[in-house]
Amino acid sequence: MVNDHIRQGESGDESSGGRVNRRSFLAAAGTGTAVALAGCSGGGDDTVNIGGIYLLSGVAQALGTSSRNAARAAVDDINENGGINGKDVEITVKDHGNNPAQTIRSLVQEDNSDVLIGITSSGVGLSTAPTIESLGVPFMATDIGTPYLTEFDTDSYGDYYNSADGTAALKPNIFRSTANTSHMTYGIAKYVADNYGAMRVANMGPDYAYGEQCWEYFKAYSEGLGVDHDYVASEFPSLEANDMTPQINSVLNNDPDLVFTSFWAGDATTFISQAAEQGLFDEVEDVFDTIGADPTVYSALGDTTPEGIHMSGWYWPTAYDNEHNQAFLDKYDSMYSDANVPSIPGFTGGQTWGAVQTYKQVIESVGSLDADDIVSELEGFTFEEDPRGPITFDADSHQAQAPVTLGTTSFDADVPYDGAGLVDIQKYTITRDESLELLDGSGLGPGM
Amino acid sequence: MGGTFDSVPSVEGNERLLVGVGLLALVIAPFVLGPFQRSKLAEVLIFGVFATAFNLLYGYTGLLSFGHGMFFAVAGYTMAKTVQTVGPMFNFGELFGGVSVLATWLVGLLLAVLVTVAVAMAIGYLAVQLEEIYFAMITLSFTMALYAVANQDIIGTVQAVLGIGNDTFTNGSDGLTFTLGQVDLFGFTFTLVDIADPMAYYFVTLVVFTVAMYLLYRIVNSPFGTVCKAIRENPERASALGIDTTRHSWVTFVLSAAFSGLAGGMLIPLFTRVTPDYAYWSFSAEPVLMTVIGGPYSFFGPLVGAFSYRYIRWFISRFEMLEAYWQFSFGVLLLLVVLFVANGIIGAPEQLREWLDSRGE
Repeated sequence: MVNDHIRQGESGDESSGGRVNRRSFLAAAGTGTAVALAGCSGGGDDTVNIGGIYLLSGVAQALGTSSRNAARAAVDDINENGGINGKDVEITVKDHGNNPAQTIRSLVQEDNSDVLIGITSSGVGLSTAPTIESLGVPFMATDIGTPYLTEFDTDSYGDYYNSADGTAALKPNIFRSTANTSHMTYGIAKYVADNYGAMRVANMGPDYAYGEQCWEYFKAYSEGLGVDHDYVASEFPSLEANDMTPQINSVLNNDPDLVFTSFWAGDATTFISQAAEQGLFDEVEDVFDTIGADPTVYSALGDTTPEGIHMSGWYWPTAYDNEHNQAFLDKYDSMYSDANVPSIPGFTGGQTWGAVQTYKQVIESVGSLDADDIVSELEGFTFEEDPRGPITFDADSHQAQAPVTLGTTSFDADVPYDGAGLVDIQKYTITRDESLELLDGSGLGPGM
Repeated sequence: MGGTFDSVPSVEGNERLLVGVGLLALVIAPFVLGPFQRSKLAEVLIFGVFATAFNLLYGYTGLLSFGHGMFFAVAGYTMAKTVQTVGPMFNFGELFGGVSVLATWLVGLLLAVLVTVAVAMAIGYLAVQLEEIYFAMITLSFTMALYAVANQDIIGTVQAVLGIGNDTFTNGSDGLTFTLGQVDLFGFTFTLVDIADPMAYYFVTLVVFTVAMYLLYRIVNSPFGTVCKAIRENPERASALGIDTTRHSWVTFVLSAAFSGLAGGMLIPLFTRVTPDYAYWSFSAEPVLMTVIGGPYSFFGPLVGAFSYRYIRWFISRFEMLEAYWQFSFGVLLLLVVLFVANGIIGAPEQLREWLDSRGE
């Protein structure tokens, strides 16, 4: 254990209270082994520690980074306004790493995080949920789409973890501050039903659980809404694909009226630029995307983004006319106007800021950092000051009842970069009962 | 490849003492360590078995496999499938009552080793026909093929075409996640793998580790192990002595895979998730690195390498700057080992002594 004493020193640097540092040090000197002790000293000091885990490298780097920026802005805002219960707030954000479950353990057991936010991938969200449950610390998912994570009805949909085909994966201490795939695809299916009716629809999405689930849910909601589409093609280019032209051409060969897509971040940029090259946007009536609407995507595309297609997101900066959203935008701009990122938050911004601010209110309301108390307070809790308007966390599903936005791409949008943005933004909301009725017979759970 | 493994009889007493002290430390360690480090140590022990099993083929027989991750993956998927499908299918819950979790785990581990052996027999039969770089390349090809099978869920797709199952078998890139619950052993209840604090699983790991290392030690110090070394030093000469080198290499390949499978079957429940990444070539580089760092010409070299590799990796992760460039940090370290110590960390003290002696003259 050559490294133990070094680790001890390092962990001492991170915890703010000198008392903890010395106590740990003395104990370490006494036993000659230090590692065990740093982990036991959290909570009692003068800070509230928030742990964050996001993809800060690879395809989703821009996405994870903008979530981290929004979280840091919220922490800064809280500290400027007296902290939480008078305590300073510190945030540690880590990359998923090659073993996200162990990264989460490290955030809690080595960095003493009191509450957690994060995760940039549905697959990782589902696979780390048992670890989060075991750690017992409240976790707020800000960037995950899969409805399974907040589906609690194991009788109807099967337990995700103890059967080969179960899809209900809710764990008691996991909440979600963003709308999920079930909700997003409902918004798009509803828009199509209201504006187009039955059409020839093709699908393109990333080749993993998210892309597949988006397509399944879109079809199920369309059927529930009584729209009898003709599904002419479905293509799944691999995640981070450099070349999507074979799939784009295959879709075009089937002559669709509408193209439904579920690309995001780098994949959305690749799809739009290559689809534009292949003339896809001229040949079809409309294109929809689930979570591609993000400043980083539009600024990367410059003038390539076609106007008039419909893209949705969990959050769009100009979609909400309220003082809390303005406060968030002002804070974000003040912190990142000089940085090498767009000075407006991305599509995970609102719910990440909201998650941190929700924690503040909940912790102050229970008056302690007790994990169980925070969890039970969160069930049914309404956060009035969310940038997206008041948000309630459902007591059963732990899913935030937050609206999704669906807008039209345009170069007239008010954005601080050269590129497109969203205009004519519509918001969609849906309840569990409505969702159950629409999805009836599909075998898919509402997850809300 | 100047092998200097054979221990001089006089050091044996020393070695025994060291092993005794080491084991004692491993028994005491979990009581001193915190939950995160307890789990880390269990993980390191499992990697120790993995690297030692790998070295049976590399250091002892002279065959560099660049595909040992595939055995790890096969074992991991077998374990996950046992928990998710086999257990419920044969109704382990009712069959074994309170110890059903333990039974599922045991059956899973047994199946993990057996399935790995079956896979290794087929792949090994083809692989050992080749030597040196060609052997490395064919093992690399096989692991990447298995990666594709798991990542694209080819088995699930085939099943769907045949109309069986629910069109997912490996669950693609997301992999399979599962947990092992409570054991009730004669009224004594504990969680077999408590993710946040795997105290019970640490001791299970320690027992499996000790047995596996003992068996591997017996193998390399048997006539079988001597033949391995003969093949490593000079395959033609070994052949001339009447040894069927291909067949012997094949058996060694399968043995090495069996212990690698055992390691995979142990680690996956601790990590709660198996993904195709274990079959990706970069994971197969891990036992190679551990062995090179620790020292391939000593039985305990790979174990020392596994300890060094995993703890240095963890240490780097504690510093944001080092972590951002961890491959670089690690590369520098590896370069130093390869350049300056012939037989890894475990050979370093010996080498230092020789160097000091030569300066004294």
